[in-house]
Amino acid sequence: MTQMKKNIILLISICAGLQLFSSCKKSFLNEEVYSSYAPETLADSLGLEASVVGLHNHLSTFFSYSGPQGWPSVWHAGTDIAFVPPTQKQGIEIPYYDYNQLISTDGAASFTWNWAYQMINNANIIIKNADNPNLTSLTETGKKAFSSEARFLRAYAYNILATCFGKVPLTVEPLAAPKTDFVRASLDSVNNQIVQDLTFAAANLPDIDNVKSGSKGKMYARANKAMAQQLLAEVYLRMGKPDLAEQQCNEIINSGKFSLITARYGIKASQPGDPFSDMFWFGNQRRGQGNKEAIWVMEFENPSSVPGGITNAPQQRRNWGAAYYQISGMTICDSLGGRGIARLRLTDWVVYGLYETNDMRNSHYNLRRKFYYNTPGNAKYGQEVPYAGADTVFKIAPHTTKWYQFDPNDVFGFAMVKDFILMRLGETYLLRAEAQFKQGKLDDAAASLNVVRARANATPVTSTEVTLDYILDERARELLAEENRRMTLMRTGTLVTRTLARNTQTINPVLGLSAKHLLMPIPKSEIDLNKDAVLEQNPNY
Amino acid sequence: MPRTAASLIKCLLMMKMVILLICGFSLQSIAGKGFAQDKITLKLENFSLKKTFKIIEKQTSFRFVYNDDILPESQRVSINVQAQPLDDVMKKLLERTSLTFKIVGNNLVVIAEAAGDANQDKAADFTLTVTGKILAENYQPLAGVSIVEKGTSNGTTSKEDGSFSLAVSDDKAILVASYIGYKQIEVALNGKTDISITLQEEKREMDEVIVVGYGSKKRSDVTGSVASVPKTRLSQLPVTNVLHAIEGSVPGVNITQTSSVPGSSASVLIRGQNTITAGSGPFIVVDGVPFSKTGSVTNDINPNDIASIEILKDASATAIYGVNGANGVILITTKRGTTGKPVIRYNGYMGFDNIAHMLDPLSPEAYVQKYADWFKQVNPTQTQTNVLPNAFEVANYNAGKTTDWLKEVTRQGIMQDHNISVSGGTKEVKYYLSGDFMKQLGAVKGYQYHRASLRSNLDANITDYLSVGTSLSYANNNYDGGRANFYLAAAMSPYGTLYNNVGNYEIYPMYPELLYENPLLGLYTDRTDRSNNLTGNGYMEIKPGGVLKGLKYRLNAGYTYVTTRFGSYRGRSANNTIGAANVSSSETNNWVIENILTYEKNFGVHHIDLTGLYSAQQRNYFATAFNGTGFINDELSFNNMSAATTLGAATIFSNYSGSYRDKYSLASQMGRINYAYDGRYLLTVTARRDGSSVMGANTDKYGLFPSFALACNISKENFMKSVAFIQDLKLRGSYGKSGNEAIPIYGTVTTAGTVRFPFSGASTIGVVASNLGNANLHWEEAKTFNAGVDFSILNNRISGSVDYYNTRTQDLLLRRNLPVVTGYFNILDNLGKTQNRGIEILLNTQNISGKDFQWQTSINFSSNKNRIVELYGDGKDDLGNRWFIGHPIGIIYDYKMIGVWQEGEDRSIDPTAKVGDLKFADINGDKAITPDDRTILGQRAPKWIGGLTNTFHYKNFHLNIFIQTFQGALKNNVTLTYADEAGRMNIPAETGYWTAENKSNTRPALSYTNSRGYGYASDNSYTRIKDVTLSYTFSKQMLDKLKLGSLTLYASGRNLYTFTDWIGWDPEHNYSFRGSGDWTNNYPLTRSIVFGANVTLR
Repeated sequence: MTQMKKNIILLISICAGLQLFSSCKKSFLNEEVYSSYAPETLADSLGLEASVVGLHNHLSTFFSYSGPQGWPSVWHAGTDIAFVPPTQKQGIEIPYYDYNQLISTDGAASFTWNWAYQMINNANIIIKNADNPNLTSLTETGKKAFSSEARFLRAYAYNILATCFGKVPLTVEPLAAPKTDFVRASLDSVNNQIVQDLTFAAANLPDIDNVKSGSKGKMYARANKAMAQQLLAEVYLRMGKPDLAEQQCNEIINSGKFSLITARYGIKASQPGDPFSDMFWFGNQRRGQGNKEAIWVMEFENPSSVPGGITNAPQQRRNWGAAYYQISGMTICDSLGGRGIARLRLTDWVVYGLYETNDMRNSHYNLRRKFYYNTPGNAKYGQEVPYAGADTVFKIAPHTTKWYQFDPNDVFGFAMVKDFILMRLGETYLLRAEAQFKQGKLDDAAASLNVVRARANATPVTSTEVTLDYILDERARELLAEENRRMTLMRTGTLVTRTLARNTQTINPVLGLSAKHLLMPIPKSEIDLNKDAVLEQNPNY
Repeated sequence: MPRTAASLIKCLLMMKMVILLICGFSLQSIAGKGFAQDKITLKLENFSLKKTFKIIEKQTSFRFVYNDDILPESQRVSINVQAQPLDDVMKKLLERTSLTFKIVGNNLVVIAEAAGDANQDKAADFTLTVTGKILAENYQPLAGVSIVEKGTSNGTTSKEDGSFSLAVSDDKAILVASYIGYKQIEVALNGKTDISITLQEEKREMDEVIVVGYGSKKRSDVTGSVASVPKTRLSQLPVTNVLHAIEGSVPGVNITQTSSVPGSSASVLIRGQNTITAGSGPFIVVDGVPFSKTGSVTNDINPNDIASIEILKDASATAIYGVNGANGVILITTKRGTTGKPVIRYNGYMGFDNIAHMLDPLSPEAYVQKYADWFKQVNPTQTQTNVLPNAFEVANYNAGKTTDWLKEVTRQGIMQDHNISVSGGTKEVKYYLSGDFMKQLGAVKGYQYHRASLRSNLDANITDYLSVGTSLSYANNNYDGGRANFYLAAAMSPYGTLYNNVGNYEIYPMYPELLYENPLLGLYTDRTDRSNNLTGNGYMEIKPGGVLKGLKYRLNAGYTYVTTRFGSYRGRSANNTIGAANVSSSETNNWVIENILTYEKNFGVHHIDLTGLYSAQQRNYFATAFNGTGFINDELSFNNMSAATTLGAATIFSNYSGSYRDKYSLASQMGRINYAYDGRYLLTVTARRDGSSVMGANTDKYGLFPSFALACNISKENFMKSVAFIQDLKLRGSYGKSGNEAIPIYGTVTTAGTVRFPFSGASTIGVVASNLGNANLHWEEAKTFNAGVDFSILNNRISGSVDYYNTRTQDLLLRRNLPVVTGYFNILDNLGKTQNRGIEILLNTQNISGKDFQWQTSINFSSNKNRIVELYGDGKDDLGNRWFIGHPIGIIYDYKMIGVWQEGEDRSIDPTAKVGDLKFADINGDKAITPDDRTILGQRAPKWIGGLTNTFHYKNFHLNIFIQTFQGALKNNVTLTYADEAGRMNIPAETGYWTAENKSNTRPALSYTNSRGYGYASDNSYTRIKDVTLSYTFSKQMLDKLKLGSLTLYASGRNLYTFTDWIGWDPEHNYSFRGSGDWTNNYPLTRSIVFGANVTLR
């Protein structure tokens, strides 16, 4: 071979080697995201629809949170209605009965805060996209439908923030860059934002019969007008505007869309029970399943048959149910609600002092007090388990049946698969009663209360008996384990007085509760990370 | 950024220049006349003969053999020849001397004194023909060795198979055999005519050729900080992963094996942690081609195939890997064929694997006592009615039945490895073929790892200017098998029930306690976990010669194809009543192309070599996963997903079905200039420019990383010649910049993730904001200053090196936590500065080097001081992220435990505390224990690490003892915390607990629930007798009888003993508590004892 040939080969090789990069322009280094959406591709009808579904998904994570299993107890134990059996505590709820331990690094406060602001950010993105005047592929009505649903959920998150933390930073626009100079807005401006959002939502959301349909029929869990109105009523009450609150309640009640359940219905109708208990069986809870009292039911499905059926492992059954199977001769079964571990127990005030005997809500279908040996072949099969001693603290503790759930394929049941009734007409009457009471309209208040009491076969209340405490007692009777008890007491400013008066348990007693606990501590990590401005802490934390 | 843009233009211009120059050169030489390889072009003024010969050796394939004494030292020659044959050149050079020369074979030039005609005539009398064979110490034949009859110019060279034949004057003649890199040896014939000569390798470290980035160099010519892993650590050790072989053996390299799970790898930190969020593992290059970032894992490398491992540490050495250099570079070179007859080799071992340190749980009696103590502490007002909490436990207690759960989940571990290789070649083609099968049966039931691998390395010289080669490898890793749960076994009640009444494992041994499943249920599950790696690297090398002599163009093209496959099924017997299956698979395709142009030239005492690189790499990844639940029965396992009632079903423990794809691209250019003056002064200047797809879209994605290094071989200075006790002394200094891009793909992009939510029973797709992008994200840069000295003194009895370095990293790629008010938890950002300073010492000593007994010691020591210099530019700490200026990156920030509250003590400082709870220090003195009392307790990285290897040789016996130490680090100890589960789980006997009777001041009561989340930080320093190997090398005589080329038998022990104060299974290992982390990593450290043989056939 000649030298010429060699050099030609060399030259060709180098050129070939470099040629491989002829495409090596800037585009070679461009990043193409294949498996996640870019936010700008989500600003059309389907994208906005999916974004709103994302909000509902996020909403559910507040209820399904299960990293710390004691999460549901945070909102009920250490109030007037429940305490924590010493052996059954998990951790996150401890500072909520031993209030001395409630400090600024608190896990529950931090989760609540984070959850709310994630909701707000996602809602902000939708609102900005839907309100964008350049979005022409959607009608104004279509835009408002998305915007109003996002505003409703944004207001829902801000209301939780305002209730739990008071003044909080207000963000209504999505961020494009990091920001670390937040300050707490006044409670008024937070409240005004909530009212503004809810007013918009109430005006633009469909009523419950006109919600969108999915592949399996009407999506009753999507936002409707009454949801916005009921939340607005609660917000007005918190703001001290009972007249406006009453007005919202009246609109719901007078809309004729909802009615109290007064007769047996649904999957257990032929079995022993009562109308009140029918509402809380999985399979009966939704409007489409006959629950005409329901305004807002958040739906879950068994993930082994519906992909994405739950967003985490809800702990309500485990927290509220009794650990009866720890009694020799007792076996986990469906009629006892599956496997509970009684991370909380009702206070003696609830068990022994709250209800009249005849109150339907006190029936053994709704509040289980007696247990019978159920292990087949056991010598004492069918006999009542003696009610005495330490076992009543959590093994055969009296408990609400509202969170009963049993999956024969998952007896251990780390997760509970059940719907969450977030708003129903029963509560609307109680909110109206509260609004009427605050305006001094005691007769009206008594009348509102008696609608609810009549359904429960309870003795009617007279107007002279109506006090805020009575209304809060009635809420406990009606909404036990449904409402967020702690938030109700914080909203009404009664957490300290009612808890100290009614939660007088000697086992694991409430400790250190004081007025500062009407607000939760602002998470210390947020204060630390917000390095360019002072995020002021709530008093005495 | 105008500056970057300018440098980009500059670089492109330079590239163009280089190409033009190449073309220019090519045209010139095409115009000229062809030159043959054996023609010599020389222009020298006033050079010594010796130097002249060396220059010719460098330019041509000729090799000179002469006795130093006969060259007239004072005589200088000048010569100016153009493309002359050697004959003429030699005549010119020797014309004024009394020397003659003779060309032996093809290329050996033997120079001798012209002893007059008599000597020449004597050649005719060379009647005795001696035949023989030249072998290396490993009995491999050596080709090209010069054999000269002493005192004459009569000589020859050995052939490919090491054989030679030489006519000598008589049977008293002495043969002198010499070969580059080997000690010259004189052998007296003493009447023999068939002799075998064994050459010993000359082990002067300075002469050792080591691999550096994009090339190789004699150690004496290296300017940067490059450490070589001792070759003894690459054979005769029962290691399944190359990183395990490196652990502790090289200064500045901290390798941590966080688990002993068969097939687990290790984490590597070279010279401390530079970066906070970005990856801090080193970049691995195998046979010159990137291995990291191709989808490959270190398990894909068969340690038996490795010829050498070099670790590049300072900026000068790593800068040519630019973007990937900041955390150090590990260069692995696999074995290749050498000229000679085929060598067939078998390396194998077999042995046992057992738990090194048992952390015994409480005995049955102590367990019962623990429950009583716990009950009393938790329910002080109540009386205990049951001896144990659960029905099954009570039944077993009454029946006196106990189970040793740790015994049930463990077994005799067995490990074995068999490797067969064939290597050899001719001048034209060289080959290395290797096949390996490794199998490790874990000491915990169900755990196993086996690997089958193949390698074929081929080099072919097609013509005198073109050579090509390939490195092909295939590895199959198999981690199959349902596994027992070691964590649960350690926590299970000794009164739990192992088997149910039909002889299967009881699902809930402590029924009705449903929290703790039978630790052996995993054995009832199906599990497939495999990966395949097929790597094909090819190269083509062109050396044009002629006026372009010294120029070399190399094209590397590499392709890596990695697949993984996972399948698992959990059915009825394993506590899933409907059956759940999941399968997933992934595929990674990676290609890399490198154009490397090198040019090497000597101008008298000046040596220059240039390297240019233009390369690109792209990796594509695609993965799919499927989940299904609801199978009629367990027959089909995960083999028919269409038999699942619900596809895409997810539990909270597994993700939905889905697929994922991503792509990563890298484009690079690099230039390097090495200049050496007389072998005494060395200079290296490099610049690398990298563009990576992961950088922010608002940047040009490119970074430029320059470096330079200077070295001085002081021992070659004239004034040092008289200093007899110093053989080598080299000073090195370097400064440079390297980059780090190690952030996840798409880390700079704002994205929305998909979620699902059901409405009316229909699963609906939703989207939620997932990542807040940062399109301005650019390179993290590390600037390193390094100063080092390499020395060899006292006749090479003591050698080593000392390095000091100071690395400042800036624009850290930081995942910085944000106030969640933003809607996001964190964002990647370029922020802050860190510093790593350290010292590294390597010392090799020949303590005793007698004839029969030798003792060598190798010590390595390194200490690194890491600190955060700056975070956000405002001098403030970031408490939320636990980053404190002036402190190391990895710290433990927690309460300071000062004891346990005892009866009668004033607990007003911590009013919620009960007697028996942990007592913390009131750091800020505000008379209350608050989160502000947390403080920096210590650092997670060790303050110093070291290794000590002692090697003893007695005749054919060799004993190697390697001790490793890790000092001055703190780690949270999971073993010490059990929060609210103390009432229903077993705990280690060693940890103990507080009771009213036994007032421990270090351990809390069982009722302590640790509501402050205290982490139990403990000192995890340790010193470990890591490896002891005893081997026996068979002598030549014995091998002759066995008809083998070589044979070494050995016994090797690993993790023999550990000295530590740590309470737990092992200070190096990471453990998880139930419900956090990955319990499959909870696996005790194992002690392996293996017996092995390394055999070479003849």
